[in-house]
Amino acid sequence: MTTQTNLAEAGAGDSFLKGISRTLSRTDIAFVVILVAWIFIVVLPLVILFAFSFFTTEYYETVYKPTLDTWIGLFSSGRFEVAFRTLRLALTVTLIEFALGYPFALWLAKARMRSATRAIYLAMLTIPFFLDTSSRTIIWRAILGQAGLINTILMHTGLVAHPVEWLLYSEFSVHFGLIVALYPTMVLPAYLAISLIDDTLLEASKDLGATPRQTLTRVVLPLSLPGVLAGIVFTMGSALAAWVEPGMLGGGFVNLLSNSIESAYTALRYPVVAALSAFVILLLLVLLALMYPLMRMLGFSSLTLKS
Amino acid sequence: MQSIPATRTIKLEASYSAFWPQLGKWCGIAMLALIYFPLLWLVLLSASNDPLSGIPGPFSLRHYGSLLGNPQWHGPMAASLLIAAIIGLICAVTATVVGRAVARISKSGWVLVLFVLPLFVPGMSMGAALFIFIGAVLGLPLGFWSIALGHYIWAFPFSLLIMLVVTLRFDRSLIEAGKDLGASNWRVFCDIEFPLLMPGIVSAGLFGFLMSFNEIMRSIFLRGTSETMPVWSWIQAAAQQSQVPVIFALASIVLLISLPLLCGVFWLLFSRLNKV
Repeated sequence: MTTQTNLAEAGAGDSFLKGISRTLSRTDIAFVVILVAWIFIVVLPLVILFAFSFFTTEYYETVYKPTLDTWIGLFSSGRFEVAFRTLRLALTVTLIEFALGYPFALWLAKARMRSATRAIYLAMLTIPFFLDTSSRTIIWRAILGQAGLINTILMHTGLVAHPVEWLLYSEFSVHFGLIVALYPTMVLPAYLAISLIDDTLLEASKDLGATPRQTLTRVVLPLSLPGVLAGIVFTMGSALAAWVEPGMLGGGFVNLLSNSIESAYTALRYPVVAALSAFVILLLLVLLALMYPLMRMLGFSSLTLKS
Repeated sequence: MQSIPATRTIKLEASYSAFWPQLGKWCGIAMLALIYFPLLWLVLLSASNDPLSGIPGPFSLRHYGSLLGNPQWHGPMAASLLIAAIIGLICAVTATVVGRAVARISKSGWVLVLFVLPLFVPGMSMGAALFIFIGAVLGLPLGFWSIALGHYIWAFPFSLLIMLVVTLRFDRSLIEAGKDLGASNWRVFCDIEFPLLMPGIVSAGLFGFLMSFNEIMRSIFLRGTSETMPVWSWIQAAAQQSQVPVIFALASIVLLISLPLLCGVFWLLFSRLNKV
C-alpha cells in the first residue's frame, strides 16, 4: 500500500521523490502525506507569489495578464531609493553581525570549557527566538529615548548638555535594534559549522608549521563556510524584510521595503505586494549566487547538505 | 545535521595569543548582555509608576492593576494560547513522523532542505505568499485558521531540527532487538522508541507552542480581522502612547512565564540527551 503511494508520487518525474520512494519502501504513509501537504502549503504559495508579480492592478482588481509593468513600476516610483536604503542597511547589519559573531562562534566551538557552560551559552543564544519581537524592541525606546537611560547617564555625567537626539528614531537606532535582534541568527549556524570541524585538522595544520592566522584563514574559515553562508543568508533575509524594528525604532523616518509591502497590502495592490516580496527573495538568491564563486575559490566542490 | 557536541573540550586557542579568543568571548558576552538587559529593564519599568519616563521607580503595580481591569486583551490572549497549543501539538506529532523518516532514508538532504525552506524565506515574503495563495487564488476567508497555517510553516522547521537531534542519535539496533524478541511494531514504538524520543517530542511541541505564541510578521498578513496577542500589542503600541505601560505589564507577564518554560526545555534537552 505504502509502496504504491510512493511510486505514484514518483510518477511525477521528480527524481528526488523517486529516490525517496525507493528507500522509503517500508516507511509509513504519514510521512508521504506530510511531505505532499508541505509542498502544497509552502512551495506552491512561493511559486504563485512569483507568478503574481507579473500581473497588474486596475481599479482595485487584479488583472490576470502577464506583463512586466509591476516590476517596472517598482523602481520608477521612487522606490529605487527605498530598495537601495534597505539593501545598504541589510549589508551593513550583516557585516557588523559577522564581525561580532564569528569570533564568538569560534570561541564557543573550540575553546576549552565545561559542557554545561557551553550549553548555557547555546541556550541563551536560542531563547531570544522565542520571545516576542515587538515587546523586546519597544523597550529600546525607553533606553535610547530623550529621557531614556543612555541620555540620563550622559546628562548626569555632564558629557552632553542636551539629550542626544540621534539615538532614537534614526537610522542608527534601526541598525542597532537589528544588530541586537539578529545576533543569534549569525552565531548559531557559524557555531554549528565550526564545531563540526575535526580538531585533528587544526593540530595537523599547526604541526605543519602554519601560524594561527594561516590556520584560521586556510582551514577554519573555509571549512566553516557553509555555516557562515547560512548565517549570512538568515541575517540578510531578516534584515531585508525587517519590519518591527524600523517601525518601532525608526519612528517613520526610516522607510524600508517592508513599509512599501505593507502600504501596497493596505491598498489591495497584490501584484505589487508579490513583486516586492519576490524581490526580497531574489536579492537573497543573488547574494547566494555571488557567494558561490567565492566558495569555489576557497576550495569547495559542493555544499554538504547530507547529514 | 549533527547533534551539538557538548562534550568536546580539545582546545584550539593554545596556538593563538590569548587576546583573540578573549576578544571573541567578550564580544559575545556584550551582545548577550544587550539582548537580555532590555528584558530586565522591561520588567523594571512595567512595575514603575511612570514607565514612559524611561527610568524605573518609584515602583508600583498600578499598571498591572489597570491590565486586570482591562478586558480588551482577553480575546487575543485566548486566541494566541489556543492557536499556540494546537500548533505545538501538531508540531510534536508531525516532527516525530518526519524526524523518524528523515533519520531512516538515505537521500535525506533534499527532503531536509525542503522542510527547512521557510527558515530561508523572510517572514514578510512568506506571509505575503500565503496571503495571496489563500486570499486571492483560493478565495478563502482569512481568519484564525490561516494564522495557524502561517504559524505552523514557521514553527515546524524548528521543531524538526530539534527532533533530529534525538532521532539521528537513535540506535536502530534497539528496534531490531525488540522485534527479535517478538514485539509487534506498535509495541516496539510504544515501549522502546517513544520513551527514548520523548525529550525531542516534548521540546518540539514546546518550540512549536512558543514560536506560534510570539509570531507577528505572518499573522499581520494572514489575520483578516482576527487578532492574536502580539498583533494586539503591536496595534496598541503603534496607535497610542498611553497604552504602552499596559503593554509593558502584559509583556512582562508573558516573559516571566515563557522564560522559565524555555529554561526547562533546555535543561530537559541538554541533561537528558547527554545520558541517552
